[in-house]
Amino acid sequence: MTTLLQQIANGLVLGATIGLIAVGYTMVYGIIQLINFAHGEIFMTGAFGGLAVWRFVPGVKDMDWYFALPLMLVGGVVVSVTIAVLMERFAYRPLRNAPRLAPLITALGVSIGLQEAVRIWFPDADRSQSFPREFVKTQVSIGPIEVPATGLLLIAVSIALGALVQFYINKSRLGRAMRATSQDPDTARLMGVNPDRVIVLTFVIGAILAGVAGVLYGMHVQTLGVRAGFQNGIFAFTAAVLGGIGSLPGAVVGAFVIGMVKTLGGQYLPGGTQYDYVWIFVVLILVLVFRPQGLFGESEKVRA
Amino acid sequence: MSRLTAMVPRTLGRPLSAIGGLLLLIAALLPWATFVLNEGAYPEKSTLQFFDAPFELTGFRWHLLLFGVAALVVTFVPLPSKGRVLRAVGWGGLAISLVNAVFITSEGGGIGAITAADGNFAFGSIVGFIGGLALIFGSAGIGLAEIPRLPDLPRVVEYLVLLVAFAATLWLVSETLTAGGSAGVSSPYAGAVFLAFLGMAGGLLGALHGVGVTGWISQMSERHRAFSVIVLLVCAAALPFTSAGTQYWMNVAGTVGIYAATAIGLNIVVGLAGLLDLGYVAFMGIGAFVSANLSGAAAAKLGITLPFPVAAVIAAVIVGVFGVIVGSPTLRVRGDYLAIVTLAFGEIFTRSAQNNVGDLTGGANAIPSIPPIAVGGLQFNEPIDLFGTKLPSGVMYYFLITLLVALVMAVFANLKNSRIGRAWIAIREDEDVARAMGIKTGKMKILAFLTGSMLAGLAGAVFAHKLGTASYDAFTFLQSVTLLAAVILGGMGSIPGAVMGAALLFVLPEKLREFEDYRLLLFGLALILIMRFRPQGLVPDRLRRAEFAGETPDGKPIEEVEEQAVLEHEHELESSKGSKA
Amino acid sequence: MRNQTVKAAALVAAGVVLLAACSTNKDESSGGGSGNQSSSCDQSKGTLVVGVIAPLSGDLSALGAGIKNASQLAVDQANKECKVPGYKLALEPLDDERDPTKGAQAATKLASEDGVVGVVGTLNSSVAQSVAPILAQNNILQISPANTNDALTKGEDFLKSPKRVWKTYFRTCTVDSFQGPYAANYLIDKAGKKNIAIVTNGLTYGEGLADTFTTQAEKKGAKIVTRQKVGENDTDFSSVIAAIKPFNPDAVYFGGEYPGAGPLSKQLASAGLNVPVMGGDGIYDKAFIELGGKDGDLATSVGAPTDTLDSAKAFIKAYDGAGFKEGYSAYGAFAYDAANAIIGSLAKAIGSGEWSSDKRDALLTAVGEYSADGATGTVKFDKFGDSTNTVLTVYQVKGSDWAPVQTGKFEG
Repeated sequence: MTTLLQQIANGLVLGATIGLIAVGYTMVYGIIQLINFAHGEIFMTGAFGGLAVWRFVPGVKDMDWYFALPLMLVGGVVVSVTIAVLMERFAYRPLRNAPRLAPLITALGVSIGLQEAVRIWFPDADRSQSFPREFVKTQVSIGPIEVPATGLLLIAVSIALGALVQFYINKSRLGRAMRATSQDPDTARLMGVNPDRVIVLTFVIGAILAGVAGVLYGMHVQTLGVRAGFQNGIFAFTAAVLGGIGSLPGAVVGAFVIGMVKTLGGQYLPGGTQYDYVWIFVVLILVLVFRPQGLFGESEKVRA
Repeated sequence: MSRLTAMVPRTLGRPLSAIGGLLLLIAALLPWATFVLNEGAYPEKSTLQFFDAPFELTGFRWHLLLFGVAALVVTFVPLPSKGRVLRAVGWGGLAISLVNAVFITSEGGGIGAITAADGNFAFGSIVGFIGGLALIFGSAGIGLAEIPRLPDLPRVVEYLVLLVAFAATLWLVSETLTAGGSAGVSSPYAGAVFLAFLGMAGGLLGALHGVGVTGWISQMSERHRAFSVIVLLVCAAALPFTSAGTQYWMNVAGTVGIYAATAIGLNIVVGLAGLLDLGYVAFMGIGAFVSANLSGAAAAKLGITLPFPVAAVIAAVIVGVFGVIVGSPTLRVRGDYLAIVTLAFGEIFTRSAQNNVGDLTGGANAIPSIPPIAVGGLQFNEPIDLFGTKLPSGVMYYFLITLLVALVMAVFANLKNSRIGRAWIAIREDEDVARAMGIKTGKMKILAFLTGSMLAGLAGAVFAHKLGTASYDAFTFLQSVTLLAAVILGGMGSIPGAVMGAALLFVLPEKLREFEDYRLLLFGLALILIMRFRPQGLVPDRLRRAEFAGETPDGKPIEEVEEQAVLEHEHELESSKGSKA
Repeated sequence: MRNQTVKAAALVAAGVVLLAACSTNKDESSGGGSGNQSSSCDQSKGTLVVGVIAPLSGDLSALGAGIKNASQLAVDQANKECKVPGYKLALEPLDDERDPTKGAQAATKLASEDGVVGVVGTLNSSVAQSVAPILAQNNILQISPANTNDALTKGEDFLKSPKRVWKTYFRTCTVDSFQGPYAANYLIDKAGKKNIAIVTNGLTYGEGLADTFTTQAEKKGAKIVTRQKVGENDTDFSSVIAAIKPFNPDAVYFGGEYPGAGPLSKQLASAGLNVPVMGGDGIYDKAFIELGGKDGDLATSVGAPTDTLDSAKAFIKAYDGAGFKEGYSAYGAFAYDAANAIIGSLAKAIGSGEWSSDKRDALLTAVGEYSADGATGTVKFDKFGDSTNTVLTVYQVKGSDWAPVQTGKFEG
């Protein structure tokens, strides 16, 4: 029983990270129908940004955690947002009207390129980097299970940020513009919405969440490699699809489900931890084939 | 660039080209490096050597000399499309000069290496660069005429022409492969020499294209298709007899051939039917593992040994079954989602293979020591004697793979021009309309997966034997992306495109080994740039070119055609108004 | 338009003048050009090449770079000390990208050059399966610094009927059948652990090691409570830790390299499972401690501890002084010894004569008889091509570095 609860808790923590990334995926797909393969790399560069602040900005190492952690978060978010904006401007915007294949391949290219760029130019990035966890070292015991404080932080931040973004999209003017553009870009333009700005804003919001996720994830796992983005990115996309592409709460819920599929599947299904990724992919295939609109999506959202 | 060249007035065209040609000539004779570089003397005696005897020039300087002479001649000879020829020659000269300039500068540590140092002068690369630029501007001034259409000839003469053309292509290919020699300690500038050679080849081909020769030959080969195919096959088989006939190049060519065959199979799925498959390499992997298990390798747990042809057929069949399995759930899924589903299948395969599923894949230890194919007692990895020449080991695999590629090409071409192929293209363009026209889209899509996967399985079976090992890490997501890149780079739906794409992606890393740390980075960048600037690929299928580049199948930009149509319409209206008034 | 042309022409002219004027900004070792090797040695007979086949790009590039740099160090030292009279030695590193296909291509490339005398490689046993047959076919010497799979020297049935597979293949590192059981002996006999959990990362190295460890551990009466596998790039081990926690292991044996082992150790401790993590030479690297290795974690490695060996200390000093960008990581020392074995045997085989491909057999014989002190101990090969250095050391993390706690031969 303890193991079951523990694995559920682990699954939720994993799901929290994936959820923050999935929100970015689902928003971008909702608005320009692009699977941004490179979104995982935005997550990864955000984490490296936070690490860079820790390592290279003088004085950060000696600060108290309530100064250092926000600084690292800011650093991470600045890096991830910059990369996302550049990506949108130079890689995706010129291909706005190209056939579907082009932006997909470009996204793959950006993903590979970013991984390599970080590996080559971030000092020592050939090997895994150690990520500090000075601030939130404690282990919290909830009944029979143990969860590191960073894990709880991840869950809390994920739900909070998800709710915040959902609120913003529903209530603010720019949010309304975003929803309008994703429903019908031409009419939105007639209504005075500048699609370029809205799209950049979408990328920025997704990048902020991914950047935060990166720094917190690095702290939780205490190590960081350049390949960290790719796998988490695929899980995040699975989560977005499971929840329903275009639906924000769907992405978050889907992420928690995927996290638990991995941990519980690795624990209880045949094959053990060796096959835990396989179960996630099986879920992905089943969802796409039998219920492409996901849990919360609307049928019409499925574009060919 | 075209905005700049448009500024050149007509009168300056001829003089600029003449100057350009002259400059290229002079550049060839000038020294190129001011001192002996750290790695060793730069090739072709470029260091401080001013030639007064033009015929003693070698390598890229000789190419530059020829370009310069050609440019001068073409400027003054009444050739209809001289503008195009001069432009091609100009770009070629520019490329050669630029490549060498960059290499010498970076090896030499500064601009001084190509200009002046310690009282020595060596302006060759700069002069060449300016000469190339002058030629390009000059050609713009002269104007680009239509590519002339060369006349048809009697059949026998055309056969001869085709023979000569393909033999020349074979020679060019073998020269390109061996240009610069093996990159390595013994020849540290191999990369530069190779790139400069590519520049020369590009300029040469561009010039021939401008004169109309390439179009002429391709039309001829269309007219005499069977003959061309046979000659091409013979030429491909003759590669081991040329200077590229070493064990090394047979190995590389064999690998290129296998990936080319797989890429053509992928072309069926992606290029013809428009089904984006991101996990395609899994089919190749399954074929490899099946063949490995039936080959009698010590690590194969099945214990059955079958002769290679039987094993290959069984492998193809089993992979075909998997193709159908992967294809069926994807029937209801489209576009981007299809890509993700196939990616998921690919990852499931890689993971399962890594974990030795069913004890069939050897897991992390792989299945090593697969015995080489043996036909009639002849082991395929031994050197052989043919027609009195000793051919290196691995040549038998090369011949087999050439046959495999030919087979795959034949299958592809036949399918493409059949009802099935047209059905696929219809599905690719618009699935709903296709279904409305009565095409059974479900069956067709599964057929695409079936055919594509069987071809990949066949390639995989040969691959396992050639490499001698079947290991899960030869079939990962990165290889799927590379295969897709080969298809796209070469041009979707086009056979020579897939072969060119595979060749580029596997030969370039071999020749340019000094960049291997940046290999993946350059690969990612290449994907981005190609989709941005030339999404139809290098050798595009005519329809695809139209779709991507906004051109009609004849190559005219759509805007031009539309403008013309509007003008004609207005003209009609006016004349009808005129007649009414 | 007139204005623009004039402006453009002016710019171009200015540029040309500037270029000509800014003649030599950075002229490296000007004039003399080839000024890096002090040619006090006789290098008249030409250049001979030592090849390296290792993953120089991709995930394991740090390990590959260590192998390449250490081999370069050996070659540079040989040139300075004129070890092979009459010849200059050069290193030709080739990337195998951890891919058997690329490895085979690299091997074919080296095999086609007459001047290649030997190859240091490969890192991965799976790549070696494709590389070794090609080199063997061309009679080219190969010494691996890192292949641990027993089958490479002794054949598939290496326990019961060992048969030498390739007479050109040697290795300086230890093999799974020594390292695994040696660790088991220590962990069970000395450290008194009875319930051991095994975690591997799915690669050949870790799987082979874990297999031999398991056999020996069970022979010794300990219980392998569970065996789990993680992905090779995984850094989040929470689910695997939760899976092994209910079994209450008192130690964890990790089959894999330090990028995974370090975080695993740290996360185990955070989760309340404060047990030692033990691994093979793949985790014996300072980076393991930086990434999370804690006090009490153990690793095995071939050879006596480096500070008891003068030759090892000399290697470390020379490596640090050479200014390489990357560290020598787990296999640099083995690569250094392998390269020196090639160079030393080459000197013996040529003597004062000339090199030609006929000398390859003599070179192989010379390697078989080679004996010297290297960075990992005594470098010598047995009749299968394995290193005779069966001295293994167990290291334990103490503070911020590894400290040797036991040295000895593996007896059985």
